[in-house]
Amino acid sequence: MTLADALGQELTTSYGVVVGEVDRTRWSEVAAVVRDQGYSFFDLLTAVDLEADGFEVLLRLWDPVRHEGVVLRTRCPRDDARVPTLTPLFAGAGWHERATAELFGVAFDGHDTARLLLPESFAGHPLRKEFVLAARVAKRWPGAKEPGESEADLATPSRRRPQPPGVPTGWGPP
Amino acid sequence: MTPYDVGLAALRAARYPEQAPALPPRSRGVIALLEQNCTVCMLCARECPDWCIEIDSHKETVPPRTEHGRPRVRHVLDRFAIDFALCMWCGICIEVCPFDALFWSPAFEHAATDATALVHEREQLRQWLRTVPPPPPLDPAAEPSAERVAARKQAG
Ligand code: SF4
Ligand code: SF4
Repeated sequence: MTLADALGQELTTSYGVVVGEVDRTRWSEVAAVVRDQGYSFFDLLTAVDLEADGFEVLLRLWDPVRHEGVVLRTRCPRDDARVPTLTPLFAGAGWHERATAELFGVAFDGHDTARLLLPESFAGHPLRKEFVLAARVAKRWPGAKEPGESEADLATPSRRRPQPPGVPTGWGPP
Repeated sequence: MTPYDVGLAALRAARYPEQAPALPPRSRGVIALLEQNCTVCMLCARECPDWCIEIDSHKETVPPRTEHGRPRVRHVLDRFAIDFALCMWCGICIEVCPFDALFWSPAFEHAATDATALVHEREQLRQWLRTVPPPPPLDPAAEPSAERVAARKQAG
């Protein structure tokens, strides 16, 4: 039986990686099927912040005999960011789920995800797109100066200054 | 082997610190600044992903050289500092500098006990120039340099 037969769906290939999209209600069920197809090595579990489209949780499993991997992906909405835990299938998923829970704010049903990397007092989920990076707020961008300008020239309001690449508007010191 | 392993192996082989290690070509230790080449274009400060290059400059007017010429505005460097506490040795600043004002030096002994001492101002960045090696020769099978091709053409 092929993996696609076992999953009852077509698998796609994205950047050379075999990918299966899974509904989150069937997340652990499908993971168990794939594991029993020989993909018995838990490689990694993490998430992607898709902003308005919620979160994508992805799992990579590896077949240690045939030396090939497969990626399973599932989606959950932003206002209900939770997927079932995989810890009954793979004990090693525990750390990955704890890290994903604290960094993305995605809950894993059936797994009491204790903090793994961040201090207890840390507020927010730093890998969410809306999380403001303190380092980008505390420091002014050195590239805002034009050639021929110095620190003092920044105080005088002038025409539009160049903006730091990749930093959303509204961040940064006033 | 990672570059880190290569460097570590060199340190071990040389009985560092009694003996200086033979580091591989293009080792990245610290960044040197050749101020004469810097036109204060701000490209390096803008491209640095870690925001660790601070540059201050002012404008000066150069009087016209000829009778009917016009005065020109020149940018003069006042401050150039790299914060090696933030730097991640990516080399982007050196790559983007259009005027060859920044260079990798293999000098690595600039540890400090205070993070503020890792901000190297222009005097110190200038000192590192003395540790910049000449570029290594091209590989035997490499394409000849543009200068050599042009010179050959001229010679006929
Ligand atoms: S090496 Fe990279 S991080 Fe360091 S100063 Fe240059 S651009 Fe910035
Ligand atoms: S990119 Fe080069 S020339 Fe431009 S400011 Fe930096 S060091 Fe100077």
